[in-house]
Amino acid sequence: MVDLETAVMTVEMIEASQLGTQAIAAALAVSITGLAAAWAEYGIGSAAVGATAENRDVFGMALLLTVIPETIVIFGLVVSLLILF
Amino acid sequence: MPALVGPSPYIYVGTRLRVRKAKLIPRDEYIRLLNMGLPEITRSIQETTYKREIDELSTAFSGIDLIEVALSWNLAKEYQKLLEILPGPLQHLTSSYLRRWDIQNVLTILRGKDQGLPAGRIKEVLVPAGELDRAFQDRLLAEDSPAKIVDLLKGWRLYPVLAREFEEAAESGWFARLENELYKQFYADVIADARGVKKGRAFIDYVQLEIDIRNLQNLFRLRAQHERGEVMEFMVPGGSFSVEELQHIYDIEDLDAFIDALMERVTERKLLAVLEDLKKEGALKERSLQEKEIALTRVKLAEMERMTKMHPFSIWPILAYLELKKFEVFNLRAITRGKESKLPPERIRGYLVM
Repeated sequence: MVDLETAVMTVEMIEASQLGTQAIAAALAVSITGLAAAWAEYGIGSAAVGATAENRDVFGMALLLTVIPETIVIFGLVVSLLILF
Repeated sequence: MPALVGPSPYIYVGTRLRVRKAKLIPRDEYIRLLNMGLPEITRSIQETTYKREIDELSTAFSGIDLIEVALSWNLAKEYQKLLEILPGPLQHLTSSYLRRWDIQNVLTILRGKDQGLPAGRIKEVLVPAGELDRAFQDRLLAEDSPAKIVDLLKGWRLYPVLAREFEEAAESGWFARLENELYKQFYADVIADARGVKKGRAFIDYVQLEIDIRNLQNLFRLRAQHERGEVMEFMVPGGSFSVEELQHIYDIEDLDAFIDALMERVTERKLLAVLEDLKKEGALKERSLQEKEIALTRVKLAEMERMTKMHPFSIWPILAYLELKKFEVFNLRAITRGKESKLPPERIRGYLVM
């Protein structure tokens, strides 16, 4: 038989561990989507700068296309907030 | 541009050149130009990307000469400006591609001087897009004797070939052999330069494609001249056909069998279609040499377009743009010169690569 003190300690440990896992999951959600957005923007940004260098009129559209992958980070952020709260 | 890690510089350059390619004169515009008179054509060209050169040169030249010089200058400037935006390895390969203009310029100067043409007239057709810049070309043009011009070229990469072949060419007044030898050495150098360079494989593939098309055009040209016998010396080694193989195909007397022999060796679909088309009843005899050559050039451009789509971030988009730009200038020159000589539009159309 396990005594009461040990049982309370075990529950506390499990709770702490759950909190830690949540924090790690939230961090991963933001960081991985952040890296993915960076990777996507890297190619789009290079092309956008190239297109703008040739034709200034496309600057607005090029900027818009460059930031579209940012939406992935927003999804990541929402997911991480849902995990935490 | 400093060497950056990753494909970013390739994406940047690829996009810039795609935008530039989209700005080139479209097919419909050529058809429209063909139906115009010379003054209208001049005005139309003035409204395009050539405006700046035309404005700059309008004090020194006029009429058709102005258009001619403005086109050459624009081409050279475009090529040199392009080199500035290319990333490291591509810059190296592109400048070795551009060295062909040196051969063309040197030969134009030698031929012009040999025929006693004034320096101004020769200068009009020079395209200073290679390593020998405009100032050096002016020095060459200032010399009167071709022998002295050759001496001035001592530091040039192709000087050994030039020195070896020049005497015979000068004596006979026939520069074709010299030209052939220079191009052979040029292609050999270009392939040697590209070996071991990052992204060099795609460039070698392009050079091989160009050699193949060039050899095929030469085969058709030699056949049109009804010259029998040894043709190996006119063929450029390094392509997918060996020179012995080309000689073997050339030796086939019957025209249909000659085309069949080529078709057996070729795998490229567009090229097969052109050969198939030539095989049709009487087409081989009916079509002019010019038409056959242009059909082959179109195959080359189509293949380059295909490779550009397959490898969007390589040297292909750059080479495709360079070639298309070159043909735009050739086309505009053909239209203006043709109109000046009062050729009918259908005749001029035969010379255009659209």
